[in-house]
Amino acid sequence: MRFNIIGYFCKEGFRNTLKNKKSTSASLIVMCFTMLIFGVFFMIGENINNVMEQIESAQGIQVFINTDVSDEEVTQIGIDLKEISGINTITYVSKEDALNQMKEKFKDRQDLLTGLEENNIFPASYVVTLTDLNESSKVQDEIKNVVGDRLKKLTSKDETVSALIRIANGIRIVTGVILAFLIIISVVIISNTIKLTVHARRKEISIMKYVGATNSFIRWPFIIEGIIIGIIAGIASILIVAIIYNIISQKIVASPVISSMNISLLSFGQMFNLIVIVYLLLGVGIGIIGSSISMRKYLEV
Amino acid sequence: MIEFRNVNKTYNTGTEAVKNANFRIEKGEFAFLIGASGSGKSTLIKLILKEEEPSSGSIIINGKDTTFLKQNRVPYLRRSMGVVFQDFRLLPDKTVYENVAFAMYIVKATPKHIRRQVPMVLSLVGLSEKSKMYPNELSGGEQQRVALARALVNNPSMIIADEPTGNLDPDTAWEIMNLLNDINLRGTTVVVATHAKDIVDKMNKRVITIKDGNIIRDEKGGYDSEI
Repeated sequence: MRFNIIGYFCKEGFRNTLKNKKSTSASLIVMCFTMLIFGVFFMIGENINNVMEQIESAQGIQVFINTDVSDEEVTQIGIDLKEISGINTITYVSKEDALNQMKEKFKDRQDLLTGLEENNIFPASYVVTLTDLNESSKVQDEIKNVVGDRLKKLTSKDETVSALIRIANGIRIVTGVILAFLIIISVVIISNTIKLTVHARRKEISIMKYVGATNSFIRWPFIIEGIIIGIIAGIASILIVAIIYNIISQKIVASPVISSMNISLLSFGQMFNLIVIVYLLLGVGIGIIGSSISMRKYLEV
Repeated sequence: MIEFRNVNKTYNTGTEAVKNANFRIEKGEFAFLIGASGSGKSTLIKLILKEEEPSSGSIIINGKDTTFLKQNRVPYLRRSMGVVFQDFRLLPDKTVYENVAFAMYIVKATPKHIRRQVPMVLSLVGLSEKSKMYPNELSGGEQQRVALARALVNNPSMIIADEPTGNLDPDTAWEIMNLLNDINLRGTTVVVATHAKDIVDKMNKRVITIKDGNIIRDEKGGYDSEI
C-alpha cells in the first residue's frame, strides 16, 4: 500500500523532470557548476589538510638540553614533557645518537670529528612532534617553562608552519564564502525550475486540493523532482571532478617544486567516499529546499 | 449537515459578501442556492469548502465547527464533500478512468478498492463505455458527469455543486440535475448553486435565495420572480 504511493510520487516526479527539459537542464548546469567549484575548493582543502598532516608529523620542535645536566635529570625532563598537551610524539636523541648522526652527515670528513668520542660536545635533545600546528607557539612556551634554565636551545620551523596555517585557513574561509554564495544561487534557480512545473500544473494542484489532498501529498512529486535534479547533477559532477583531478594532480606532483619538497597528494580514490556523500547531500538538500520554496504560494487554496 | 450561524464575510477589499447568514441544511436534503452574479452565492460555497474563512459567526459541517479548524485538517474536511464546478476541472492528459481514480489516489485508497470503486461510479453516471477516452473527446455533459463521478467516488456525505449546468445546453443540464437528484435519493446531501430558473422551478426543492449578501428567502418551491 505505502509502496503504491511512493511509486506514484516517483512517477510524477520523473514526469515533471522530463516535461520541462529546458529548465531542468538549466538547473542541472547551474548545480553542476556549483558542485564543480565546490569540489575544487573541497579537494584543495583536503589536500592542504593532508600536507599539513605530513608536515606536522615530519617537522618537530627540537629541544636541546644543556650538556652539564645529568642523565637522570634528562630522563626526568622527558617524563615532564609528556605531560604537555598538544604533543604527539617525543623522541629522545642522546649525546651518542647526536654524535652518530654527525658522523653519518660528515662521512667523508671523519677527521673533523676525531677526539669527540672522549669529549662529546653534542647536547642531548628531544624531538617533539605536534598534534596540531596551530598550537605550535603555545607548546613552545610550555616546553620553555618545563625545561627552564636547563634549556640550551629550541629550534622549530615556525615561519614555514605559520605561513602554511595562514594559507590553509584562508582557503577554508574562501571556500566557505564561495560555497554559501553558490548554494544560494542554486536554490534560487532550482526553485524557479520547479515553479515552472508547479505553474504548469496549478490546475491539477487546485483539483487535488478540492478532492482533499494533503499538502504533503501534493508537495512530494515536486520535491522528488528537485531530488532527481540534485542526484543527476551530483553524479555528473563526481565524474567530471574525478577526471579533472587526476589530470591536475599528476601535473602538480610531477612539477619540480612539489617533487623536491617530497609531498604526496591525495588520490581521488582516497576522497571518493567523502565526495560522494557531500555531493549527494548537497544535491538532495538544494533540491528539497528549492522545491519547498517554490511550492509555498501554490498550496494556499 | 451544514449549518451557518450568524456568518459574516467581509473581504479585505471592504466588500461585504455575506451578511449575517443563518441556515441549516439537514443530512440527505437537496437545496438550491440561487442569486444573481455578485450576490454572495460563490462566497457561501467557498465558506462551506473552507476556501475562505468567515469574518465572524460559525459554520458547522457534519456536527463539527470548522471555524477554528487547523489548516492541516482542511483536506480531511474536504474528503467529506464532493465538489463539482461549472468548468468541470478535469485533467486533460488523463483518461476518464484515471481522472476518477486520481481522486482515490489522493486519499490513499488501495489499488484493489480503486479497481472496484471506479467502474461502479462510472456506471452510475452512465459512462462505463467511455472510461478509456480523454476529456476532449467527450461532450460537455459527459465531462460534467466525469466530474460528478470524481466527486462521488470517495463516498462523500455531501455534494457541493457550483453552477454545474452553467456551461451546458438545457437538455444536458436536465440530465445532470436528474443525476444529482438520483444521488440525493441514495442519501447524499446535495447543495447546488445555480442560475437555471426553469430547473429550480420544476424540481420543487428547497431554495435558499441570496441577494446583496443577505439571505432573503429560504423555502421549498420555485425561483422567486423578484430576483
